[in-house]
Amino acid sequence: MQDNLLETSMLSLQLLFSLDAELWDIIGVSFRVSITAILIATLPAILVGFFLAMVDFKGRWMVIALFNALMAVPTVVVGLTLYLLLSRSGPLGDLHLLFTQPAMIIGQVALAFPLLVCMSHSAFQSIDKRAWETARTLGANCFFAVTTIMKEARFALLAAVLAGFGRIISEVGCSMMIGGNIMSYTRNIPTAIALETSKGMFAQGIALGLVLLVLALLLNFTLASIRGKGRLV
Amino acid sequence: MGLELTASNIVKRFGERELFNIEQLQVQEGESLHLSGDNGVGKTTLMKILAGLDKPCAGRINVTPNLKGRWSTSLHPKVIYLHQTPYLFSGSVKDNIAYGLKLKGISRGQIKRTVQSALEWARLEEFADHAAHSLSGGEKQRLALARAWVLTPGLLFLDEPTANLDKQSVDSVTELVRKMVDGGAAVMISSHQTNPLTELCQRSLLLADGKVSESLLPKEMFFDA
Repeated sequence: MQDNLLETSMLSLQLLFSLDAELWDIIGVSFRVSITAILIATLPAILVGFFLAMVDFKGRWMVIALFNALMAVPTVVVGLTLYLLLSRSGPLGDLHLLFTQPAMIIGQVALAFPLLVCMSHSAFQSIDKRAWETARTLGANCFFAVTTIMKEARFALLAAVLAGFGRIISEVGCSMMIGGNIMSYTRNIPTAIALETSKGMFAQGIALGLVLLVLALLLNFTLASIRGKGRLV
Repeated sequence: MGLELTASNIVKRFGERELFNIEQLQVQEGESLHLSGDNGVGKTTLMKILAGLDKPCAGRINVTPNLKGRWSTSLHPKVIYLHQTPYLFSGSVKDNIAYGLKLKGISRGQIKRTVQSALEWARLEEFADHAAHSLSGGEKQRLALARAWVLTPGLLFLDEPTANLDKQSVDSVTELVRKMVDGGAAVMISSHQTNPLTELCQRSLLLADGKVSESLLPKEMFFDA
């Protein structure tokens, strides 16, 4: 068993470093879809988070609670909902999006959005109200005051974006249901790992797992170094 | 034409509780006012309302001449409010001073020169590149004043600017405020105690029982006695 594990690990490294076309194709799909999704979701979600933190309106706590609940929805449930909407007999069936990369992007936006809203809401909540007032009294209009507050909360916002990216690049349920795991088109890292493991082909699964692990380490090291190695300001 | 602020029938309520109801309040160019009152009477709220940072439940505030920007609905560019404990943006002392200037679309060269003048004005040259958060309480207050000074305010609201400062810092802040008053800016200083800064003031207002009334300056009290 030990020999088998070692052998499989070596094979997975070989696949990675020999630039195996199939493997890197899967990695490419994963990054293309998830980066597009996070780029689409980030700004609107941050603005919603800002609105929830700064504007007092009736039922605000309910909206916040709703986003918190959505954050905890399993990815397969999001996938199932979108599947029903996008399938031929569904209300959005005419768009022919099911089992396409745009469908995967929609699914990942739906997954990242509540997380980004909740984390950016917390980030803005932790910013002193005086920051907004100071920006405004020094001549910033609402737009520039918002950008100032975003700058003040940049580390927490960056952490939110990285957490959101981490959630969607590693999710399997939604991508599997609405992407369909089509090779060279909608097969991404998590769906490929699930498929290869079910076939008993562990090498590719381990290689892809290593990519996710390295990615997680890179993102967290980057965040930590930008934050100033965790010291207090 | 000098800046003039007129507030009429300003009412502020929190739920059922009425904090104040002020019939008329006027601040004119070059005036220096001391707004006194016990803790919790609404001095900060009143100053924020006058500065356009908070909204009254009723009433009207008029600042002439009207220089409001197209996108600004409540703030006058020549009216600046300074918090009791200034909020300093992340970045250096220079970055903080340059903040308002950058918003005005001034050239980089001009910003650099103005920031340098402000550093000298507030005697903060040695801290120019320091992180603003690393300054002491008195230095932070001086930085906040310098940040306002570069915008040549016509009316400055100073909310308890000397609270928690030692005597030396109070003197430094007083010197800077005196320079601004001498430069023609009107200032309203809220404080529930008298100190060298409040002694600069020509008028004294008392906020008590939800009303603002003219009161005697400390020096006048001395002569009356």
